[in-house]
Amino acid sequence: MVSLSQTSLPTWAHTPQVEPVDPTGRVHTLVGVTGDGAEGDSPTGTAVREVVAGWQAASGSATLHVHLCADVAAGIAALEADLVSARVGHRVLVAGTADACLAVRAAAVRAGLADDELRFGVVAADVRTVWCVHCSATTAAAVGLDEDLTCSGCARTLVVYPHVSRRTGHHLGFMVDAEDQPWEVPA
Amino acid sequence: MSAPAVERAVERYPAHLHPAYATGVRSLRVVEVVRLTDTVRHVVLEAPDGGVLASYEPGAHLVVTTFPEVLPTEADQTEKRNAYSLTGDGVNPRRYAVSVLRRGDGGGSDWVHDALAVGDLVEVEGPRSSFAPRHDQRHALLVAGGIGVTPVLSHARAVVRWGGTCEIVYSYRPGHGAHLEDLRALAARPGVTLHEATTVEHTARVLAERFADQPLGTHAYACGPVPMLDAYVDAAAAAGWPEGRVHLERFTAPELDAGVPFTATVASTGQRLAVPPGTSLLTALLDAGHEVANLCRQGVCGECLVPVRSGALEHRDLVLSESEKSAGDRMLSCVSRGGHAGAEIEVDL
Repeated sequence: MVSLSQTSLPTWAHTPQVEPVDPTGRVHTLVGVTGDGAEGDSPTGTAVREVVAGWQAASGSATLHVHLCADVAAGIAALEADLVSARVGHRVLVAGTADACLAVRAAAVRAGLADDELRFGVVAADVRTVWCVHCSATTAAAVGLDEDLTCSGCARTLVVYPHVSRRTGHHLGFMVDAEDQPWEVPA
Repeated sequence: MSAPAVERAVERYPAHLHPAYATGVRSLRVVEVVRLTDTVRHVVLEAPDGGVLASYEPGAHLVVTTFPEVLPTEADQTEKRNAYSLTGDGVNPRRYAVSVLRRGDGGGSDWVHDALAVGDLVEVEGPRSSFAPRHDQRHALLVAGGIGVTPVLSHARAVVRWGGTCEIVYSYRPGHGAHLEDLRALAARPGVTLHEATTVEHTARVLAERFADQPLGTHAYACGPVPMLDAYVDAAAAAGWPEGRVHLERFTAPELDAGVPFTATVASTGQRLAVPPGTSLLTALLDAGHEVANLCRQGVCGECLVPVRSGALEHRDLVLSESEKSAGDRMLSCVSRGGHAGAEIEVDL
């Protein structure tokens, strides 16, 4: 396997870790994606709340906007609402599972933020979303890098390539035995 | 089957032989000279045949061969190569225009003021891009001090051409505001704002105010004298801007001491070069017969960058970012040196 530092995967996307608050920021938006359902607090939610509380304690005199959201869609909506009138000097910190962080990062990048304006606190990195190059379906599964999964769109067996899109937050998946297919040079 | 078509295309359009690709050393004719202020002269150049010139990125400069009275002591030259920022937007130009401040030191800029006239041929090279806009900028904050207005004007014209938005801060001494009318004309368009400042205090105030109020995704660019650039960097940091959004171009460098002696090993040949105080690594490399491109020789232009394999470095240039300096894998051979007296470095040449 290639060295992961040579890929588009941020370190936190495969090894859970919490990055520190950037002390130079004037305003911080903190987004915690808890994954909590109707049945109450999940272990993920508890860990995410701890990360967000740690960031709040470490952010000094900067202005804070804190959003604890149940799912990625709500997290992105809260972030985008915050960024509508944001000025340079704004930082965004996202806590959650790796797939949630990648999805929110994609929205932050779309809003014009650069990598040095984003920080992440990842509490688990087992689940990945994989985008199929053959049918464009996205499949979420607990799968490791270079392992296989079945595409939810076309049922092909996909290998999870160590590349993640900044634009969508999904990993790249392609047919595992693509080289072995009967295939001829088109006339 | 496709070969004849390719051949025909090559016949009609020989790759990179079209004049709009030419950036090597060549002669251009002076077609216009305009006095902008008491000390700034605007010089317009065209190809001798009136044809198209190479396009350039906003903020690019043209290297002009000048024949000053006072030459650098180091070499037995009779000419000097000066870099001047182009003032246009850079798209399909038929003319190159530069604005030159008379420095009054008998150097190349004085030659441009005293010797150049309409009809003369001058030797140029480039354009070269060293201060380009970021392609993903959502908005631009452009800051000019004095003659540093020239690349800023180029950036502003490009923003207008491509339908972007920008704010311009121009700091000048009353009566010495070159291109002020050009900037005011641009500011009459929607999406372009001009803030003028004529004192040091006023400039600092405007910078603090404008840095605090730029939309997300803005990149800032500045060119001007060292004190103004220091104020610019400070204002950006105070407003919480990350380093990656704050760009600047310097045209003067502070005086440097002679530096420490160190030893450089050339990786390809194993040759060891002793570099004493007062001699630059660049000079040592050139004397040993290694071809190293160079231009300003004062740590400003970035031309003489050499890759480094190992060894402690003391970076004294104004080109590399802090992260590039700490990586320790490259250095500007004209000013940067070994990290301490007797340091051993290995350059990858």
